Amino acid sequence: MHDTIPSRSGALAVAREQGRAIVAVLPYHYPRALLRAHRCHPIEVWGPPFEPGDLGALHFQAYTCGIVVKATSFLVREGFDRVDAVLVPHGCDALQGMGSVLGDFVAPTPPVLTFYPPRRARPADRAYLVEEIRALGRRLAEVSGHTPDEADWAEALAAEEAADAALADLYHRRGRLDVDDRRFYEVVRAREYLTAEDFTALAASLPEHDGAPDADGDVGLLLSGIVAEPLDLFDRLRAMGARVVADDLATGWRRVYPPSTLADPYERLADRLLAAPPDPTLGAPLDARAGLLVERLRASGARGLLIYDVTFCEPELFAVPVLRERVTAAGFGVLHVEHELGTTLPNQTLTRIEAFVETLR
Amino acid sequence: MTVAALGIDAGSTTCKAVAVDADGHSVGWRLESALPRVEAQTDALLVALALELGAADGVPVVATGYGRKLVRAATRDVTEITCHARGVFADLGTGGTLVDIGGQDAKVIRIDERGRPVDFAMNDKCAAGTGRFLEYTADRLHVPLDDLGPRSLAAPRAEHISSTCTVFAESEIVSLIAQGADVDEILLGLHRSLVSRIVAMVRGVGLTPPLLLSGGVARNDAIRELLGRETGQPVRLPSAPQLMGAYGAALLALELTR
Repeated sequence: MHDTIPSRSGALAVAREQGRAIVAVLPYHYPRALLRAHRCHPIEVWGPPFEPGDLGALHFQAYTCGIVVKATSFLVREGFDRVDAVLVPHGCDALQGMGSVLGDFVAPTPPVLTFYPPRRARPADRAYLVEEIRALGRRLAEVSGHTPDEADWAEALAAEEAADAALADLYHRRGRLDVDDRRFYEVVRAREYLTAEDFTALAASLPEHDGAPDADGDVGLLLSGIVAEPLDLFDRLRAMGARVVADDLATGWRRVYPPSTLADPYERLADRLLAAPPDPTLGAPLDARAGLLVERLRASGARGLLIYDVTFCEPELFAVPVLRERVTAAGFGVLHVEHELGTTLPNQTLTRIEAFVETLR
Repeated sequence: MTVAALGIDAGSTTCKAVAVDADGHSVGWRLESALPRVEAQTDALLVALALELGAADGVPVVATGYGRKLVRAATRDVTEITCHARGVFADLGTGGTLVDIGGQDAKVIRIDERGRPVDFAMNDKCAAGTGRFLEYTADRLHVPLDDLGPRSLAAPRAEHISSTCTVFAESEIVSLIAQGADVDEILLGLHRSLVSRIVAMVRGVGLTPPLLLSGGVARNDAIRELLGRETGQPVRLPSAPQLMGAYGAALLALELTR
């Protein structure tokens, strides 16, 4: 097993050595193989959590989520100097606002690209998405100076789909893995910035238990939300006698895209994005999402759903009342907590979570 | 009288310890204002109570409250949600919906027929809806804490305080004073404001009767009266509302011996 996981800066240096253009990508659905085929490498920007929000706060209302505010601060302070382009998928209104602010007002040297995934999966949405991916490809070709040929596409699709399969396999093997939750999510989140081949090797290196895993009577939780920061959360959960047995995180299971058999690369990428697990930023019906969460709670042995949201995360917060109602009706406990990105875990938040775990024993 | 277990509630405003016998009956307690050094204070409090009651060494101790992780003598620590539920259930012999208003947070806990918390809500991000809200505004109006309830209930009408935020409420108080408003009517408005916040939390969790009230603020008659009026439910208080966390902790400590 890899003892240390390369940092984002380390991954950026590796990609540069490979002659790839660096694209800073905001959360969180985008056609990754498209970037690779165009000799670009995505480094996702999820804050960073401990970045001061001062420069971003100049552009946004006080009720804008910390990911957008801090990411804007980071890009303005140093990020723009380190990348060749910025890609802002329209995951929510805050991200859409960020794309506009960066492109129209900050106007940095690296181009700001936007990407709008449709909110439904009707034939018209599919056709639109294929065109949107083609349009993004043309912009990427301008960034890297490379237009992919058939061999580029074959290589890019094979590498990225292998990495996606490795991510899916991590979830499949989860119960057998001999790593704690913190390590599991450190590896899962490395998909945000490692090259496909490095991620695939890292994921495959996680060891499995020799015998049956020892759960120690821990309370199993299904963790939902956008991003589980800080990672100390997992240490604290363990100390409370709880563990995460499944997740519905935007930085995790929501990006386990199913494979596609379509031959055309643009259609194949669109097909996979549209088949993503139910996700509020892709307009998935709440009913389908709630139903699947209940199924996954049952299948994973989780006793409760912990919804751990970044403060002011609008697409997540809209869903909470319905999820709470449906999951509670199915006999599972639900706790919703909001966390200010970039702060240490407040004692009050930990007390709520600990009390929740106690109610599930 | 033999002490079988101890519970300690290291709260944000007060520190409480309760001793129980083998039947789970309270046999002694101590309460003092919270000090910044939680470790030293809880050590001293437990020693004092044990000496007073002649408790043997090695009696199990469960700690609760915001400082629970810092209690060196604790055999185990348990959150105040579980401890309050357990304490109130044992004291009143019923589950229901418990409102606990402490110094720095307010909790609404739904307790099942076995005394277990099954759902809860906490207001812990600011002083709104907590004892601190009343303490702060009482100080601003130069009214002793113990007079808050009686004076509020004696007011013929309430001034309207729209904010549940302590800081914004103070701005409203300053404006009302400047307009010559009666202090008691301001006080009644403040109590209504706090209760409206609590009732919103009760509705969030869902009110399963009976409605129970604990925590230091339960000593305030106006809160109890207004809570009953707003919810349409009679409010029941345990015998020692401020000690329920520590009492519940002691009962959980007692379970460790079985």
